[in-house]
Amino acid sequence: MPNLPVLVIGGGPAGLEAAKGIADLGYNSILVDKADFLGGNPIFADYAAITPDMRSAEEAMDEMIAKVMVNPLVDIRLNTTVAASEGDAPNLNVKLVNGKGEETVGVGSVVVATGFQHFDPGKETQMYGYYEFDDVITLVDAERMLKGGNFIQPSTGEKPKQVCFIQCVGSRDRQIGNFWCSKVCCGIATKEAIEIRHLLPDCRVFVFYIDMRMYGFWEDELYWKAQEEYKVNFIRGIVTEITKRGDTVVVKGEDTTMGRPMEVPMDVVILSIGMEPSEGTKEMAKIFHIPLESHGFIETIGGALNTVETKVSGIFAAGATTGPADLEDSISTGGSAAMKACAFIRKAELQTV
Amino acid sequence: MSIYKDAKYQDVPYEKKQKLFQEVKEDMRWESVMYGCYECGICVAACPSARFYDFSPRVFAQVMGREDIDTFYELLNDSVWDCSQCFSCTRCPRQNNPGAIITIMREVAVNHGLSSAKKALQAYSRIIYKIMSTGTQVAPDMLQPDFFPDWGPDVKDVSENLDVWRRAVPPETMHTTELAWDVSEKTRLELYMIWKLTGNLEMIENIDEGIFMILEEVMEELLEEHGYDIDDFENVLED
Amino acid sequence: MSVTTTTPPKASMREFIRKGKPPTEDYRELLFELEAKGELEVQRVPEPYVEVETKYGRKKKIPLEQTWHHKSCGQCGHIPGYSTAIFWLNRKLGYEYHDPRDQTSCTAWNYYASSTSNSGAQAAVAVRNFAQAKLDGFFPMIHCGTSYGHYKEVREEILHHSKLRDQVRKIMDRLKMPFVFPEEIVHYSEWVHVVRQEIAEKQVLDFSGITATVHPACHYHKLVVEDAIYDRELYDGQRTAIVTALVEALDAKAADYSTWHDCCGFGFRHILVSRDFSRSFATVRKIERMKEEADPDVTITHDTGCVTTLDKSQFAAQAHGRNVGIPVMSDAQFAALAMGAHPYKVCQLHWHGVDMKPLMEKMGIDHEKAWQEFEEVASRLKDNGTEFMTWEDADA
Repeated sequence: MPNLPVLVIGGGPAGLEAAKGIADLGYNSILVDKADFLGGNPIFADYAAITPDMRSAEEAMDEMIAKVMVNPLVDIRLNTTVAASEGDAPNLNVKLVNGKGEETVGVGSVVVATGFQHFDPGKETQMYGYYEFDDVITLVDAERMLKGGNFIQPSTGEKPKQVCFIQCVGSRDRQIGNFWCSKVCCGIATKEAIEIRHLLPDCRVFVFYIDMRMYGFWEDELYWKAQEEYKVNFIRGIVTEITKRGDTVVVKGEDTTMGRPMEVPMDVVILSIGMEPSEGTKEMAKIFHIPLESHGFIETIGGALNTVETKVSGIFAAGATTGPADLEDSISTGGSAAMKACAFIRKAELQTV
Repeated sequence: MSIYKDAKYQDVPYEKKQKLFQEVKEDMRWESVMYGCYECGICVAACPSARFYDFSPRVFAQVMGREDIDTFYELLNDSVWDCSQCFSCTRCPRQNNPGAIITIMREVAVNHGLSSAKKALQAYSRIIYKIMSTGTQVAPDMLQPDFFPDWGPDVKDVSENLDVWRRAVPPETMHTTELAWDVSEKTRLELYMIWKLTGNLEMIENIDEGIFMILEEVMEELLEEHGYDIDDFENVLED
Repeated sequence: MSVTTTTPPKASMREFIRKGKPPTEDYRELLFELEAKGELEVQRVPEPYVEVETKYGRKKKIPLEQTWHHKSCGQCGHIPGYSTAIFWLNRKLGYEYHDPRDQTSCTAWNYYASSTSNSGAQAAVAVRNFAQAKLDGFFPMIHCGTSYGHYKEVREEILHHSKLRDQVRKIMDRLKMPFVFPEEIVHYSEWVHVVRQEIAEKQVLDFSGITATVHPACHYHKLVVEDAIYDRELYDGQRTAIVTALVEALDAKAADYSTWHDCCGFGFRHILVSRDFSRSFATVRKIERMKEEADPDVTITHDTGCVTTLDKSQFAAQAHGRNVGIPVMSDAQFAALAMGAHPYKVCQLHWHGVDMKPLMEKMGIDHEKAWQEFEEVASRLKDNGTEFMTWEDADA
């Protein structure tokens, strides 16, 4: 039987899928997360429904978490961070630190699944006033409200009559330095738009966009559905300023289809904030000497043909650690990383025989 | 051939349009003002001219990005002079600068003496004369009711009391009615040298020959007074 | 995982903490690199100076004195109280300055308005002014918002194009002047910003009943976005703090309005030869909105073009029955009045379009007496054709 465990850093969707995959293959894993709960961003940020199935995020994550918690091959360490690493895989000595002290563990390979963090709208080039206006909120704020089963105008507590989403906040921007597209915000915003229209049939919902990124089945399951069934207004043109007139916030943009500047009062504005490499990702890259690619995420070798292997032998990466990823990406790369991490250990052990 | 059936200036040879386009692209500033455009409309949203004129900085960025020579020529002759050069469009997430693209396009139009440029600058040439010959513009004696009838009765008051009211301004350098402030002769001399050394004087000839001639005379005179020959100053911007 | 509250926190509970490196290069580093290579000379900001924060958290040095005042065409020409107030503030606070005759305008009238200039000429004009300042022994302080923004642009071009530097060097050699560039390009309103507490300490008028709307100049904070003053305490560091900080320091109320970010509509060429555009824009987008939403006693801005456009557009608009009538002045004049400067002898308010009398009354200024005092000096000057108003007359 194999002795050396795989270290899985990060207990979000990718990390959970990796840990389960490793266990299914009969290998041990140590699953580490700095929070006091498993589930990663979907739980941390209180995601309401998964895109596009509309299934409860908490339910879906609970299912995944349950599968690893009952598994004897998965050693779960919450409130724990990775502080240092010595040696080369398959003989790595990793120092784990938690509130009670530190411990050095020997591991055979690593799966880094430290995910992403949400973009802070205060860094945005456009003037969105997130820190000035109560009624300007983010996708995460909206998600939290929807999870609680309601959607209100923050300043008044009343049901809003007019709500809009602004896409690409913190993404696709040379001035901020985040050149990439964050992949999921178009899907999430459209999903939330449907949820809001469902909750508040009298509320008009707008989505201000540059391009609607509707890959694969999102096209009809989300986009067409939102337009045709729920009459969500998709307006091509991004907002540059949000100011306040009296008690109402006003968004200023161009309706590029009509070719005219527009200024519209809104009860709630939802900023579709993008993804950035998380602090955890940056830390792990330093500790394990993993090179980053040009956007600041962990680099994988082999481009499209190898989505989980890093330049450092025996260190793999999964989920949004390597770039913007949706849930399907995270699950898929979690599984792929599990397979490769175990294969690496098996190969090393066969060689020593 | 333009992709549009109703394109204007179809009678102007394509090579001529292309040459002008090339000149815009070869400007030193081009690389830092034009990247690519994904038509987000932020520039139009922020633009004051877009609300008043049939003008769109987004159209400029798109056309220049597409390298659509025919439409470029249309813009060069029609709406390029509507821009108010406020640079609100620099909010562009691709880091394009439509205002600066327009500055460069206007320079090319001026350098080639396009009649649309001449027309746009017709009423403006005496301002050019003032700034180039004295180093400052907006003189107190410009505040005449027939030049600014819409600015209000204070203009009339100023013009009627100009001499005294001007002497009633404490800073010594501002005791003049012909200039904003008193510019020294030495400084004007240096300014004239700069105009010659950068080919700026010759640019004026393209849009207003009359102003150019007067300007050249004034410059020549001052340079001569100080022992310089105006022809000794070659354009250092030309390789 | 329990959720304690589903309503998003109020904006007042949200605190912005900027993390990570600035997304832009540090122009000072590039300047010093060029100096080390012998390409140009960097004029350091003289002490004493105050450090302020710019957009991405970098620090900018603002000198207090030994400043070379790079004057503005439009101010000196049509709003002489604006320039006079700037000098007056320096004098009253005891800071030494130089008011040169050896100064040209930035010549943006020949660039933004008509494009009858080129990068070489503009860079040479800038460097000539900077060289003169260095030779005179003072550090440049720019009066006009456009000159300031334009010189920031020139700096970018000079830093990134060696060909342009070669051209400028050739020109400066012919002029027999050094190739100098200042460590910082400083706008006078940045100086007013850093001395605002000193101004407040010397304040003699009560502004607590005054409501002001602030109009930040496009060319101040939109050209080279990083280089403008931001303050975490004001607008959470999301909008530039310039002018607003001064208004608040003087105890006046800075009222917000929905077109705060909009241009004034100056347009450059338009203000002279296509005024219907400037007038319409200033009236409809700025003045009427301010009046409807904030009903201010005064509008404060910090650029020549903005003062001109906002002030001069209102008369014709009023004749068309538009909702206008807000006095317009610069931060310098506002600060000077607060410190007891004479409204006519120093702030020269008689050159402004919109009626200032109601505002002066609210400030506690006896404008009738003040006008009499001005007329006394004026009639003395009239009788004596070669005399001027001195600084002593202005303060008498």
